[in-house]
Amino acid sequence: MSLIRLIILSLFIFTQTQADTIYNLIKIPNLEIYDIKTPNKLRYLYAKQPFTLGVEKNINCYNSEKKILDQKYKIIKKNLNRYSQEFLKKINLKYIVLCEDLSISNINTAGIPDHIMKTLILDIKFNEDYFERVIHHEVFHIINDSFKKLFDEDVWSKFNVKEFEYAECSTCTDKLGLDTYTNTNGFLTEYSRSTASEDMAEVFSHLMIGLNLDSLDPILEKKIHFIKTNLLKIDETFIL
Amino acid sequence: MIEKIKASKSEKVILIFIVTLAIFFFGSFFLIKDKCLFVKNYDPLKITFDNPKNIAILNVTCGNVIIELYPNISPNAVKRFKQLINTKSYDDVAFHRVIKDTLVQAGDLEFGKKGNLNYGKIGTGKSGLGTINSEVDTPFNFDKGSVGFARGQKYNTEDSQFFIILRDEPLYETEYTPIGKVIYGLEALEKIKYLDKSQYVLRPDFINSLRMLVD
Repeated sequence: MSLIRLIILSLFIFTQTQADTIYNLIKIPNLEIYDIKTPNKLRYLYAKQPFTLGVEKNINCYNSEKKILDQKYKIIKKNLNRYSQEFLKKINLKYIVLCEDLSISNINTAGIPDHIMKTLILDIKFNEDYFERVIHHEVFHIINDSFKKLFDEDVWSKFNVKEFEYAECSTCTDKLGLDTYTNTNGFLTEYSRSTASEDMAEVFSHLMIGLNLDSLDPILEKKIHFIKTNLLKIDETFIL
Repeated sequence: MIEKIKASKSEKVILIFIVTLAIFFFGSFFLIKDKCLFVKNYDPLKITFDNPKNIAILNVTCGNVIIELYPNISPNAVKRFKQLINTKSYDDVAFHRVIKDTLVQAGDLEFGKKGNLNYGKIGTGKSGLGTINSEVDTPFNFDKGSVGFARGQKYNTEDSQFFIILRDEPLYETEYTPIGKVIYGLEALEKIKYLDKSQYVLRPDFINSLRMLVD
């Protein structure tokens, strides 16, 4: 028993200070550079090993096989290249962390945005059908968090019919469907009905991947106008 | 008649081993004691510089570190750095944050001065001149020897602390304001005292002096 203690103690004693630049910058361990030579200066990092985050260590994500990483990176880069360096600087997004099976408190999630740390963690294995849309959805959360006053949730909520109420939070509802409605009635997906912020993100992400604007209801038209107008206030060159 | 006894082969081997051991023992005693033994000390007066007005000489325990400043890249940061050099503010200031083979950081004028070290607050001190805005938009390669202004968690919080990197750090581009690059004497910085278990150094090494080559 004492021998085991001695071995553990000696491991501790001889463990050197790690010069982990990425950890020092964004406070996420076990990451390595995937690609930093990008036109809009986004820095792509990947999980070399699983990592755990948060005060309660409730955020988890795992490393991926290189083949999957390479494959998904092409899709992610293609989509994120649509945002200019200037726009990304304004919304405070610089680091994209690629990993798989991302979860918060054991609830799987597509992404975790953190505009303070300029970081977006993306689950590269998230639902294949909506993968590209989800990338923009998560970018919107960064935009929203950086410009809370512009994307006023009270103003947004008033676009809906009077009887409608959003849930308290996106995880305190079972409205999680991501299929786009054919009959929109103010909302693009079931998930749109969860919170105002998710609703905005759904509208934004649909616009980014090319929403069919022919059959929109009046509520959605107001919501789209709201998103477009406020995006132009952030960056007048932003193209949807 | 005294019979001459020849040393056996194994006795010779043992003798050679003991002599070698003694050489290593005494040799390493002197080598360990003088950490600057193999560090070349550059004399800036014997070097010709293209732009001597932008050359700063950082004198540390193991010799001179010659830094070329880049006012074209970061005019405000270089102006602040020169201002603090000209007032000799950096003299006797600790290298309080050192990561082996990675970076050295100094410049806490409030809590990092020799004789007035405050280990509880070192790294948080101010110059009294206020903060300056970050200058991170101009492309800059943060390769080995690059000198940058340190800052807090947020941009535009640069004051007096600076770091010099001992390895390439491409992720520092657009994160930190570059000031210049070490053009001679980086080896002297590799000998700055560090700790294995902490980035913050107890009983740290100090800057002897930091001067502009031309006043």
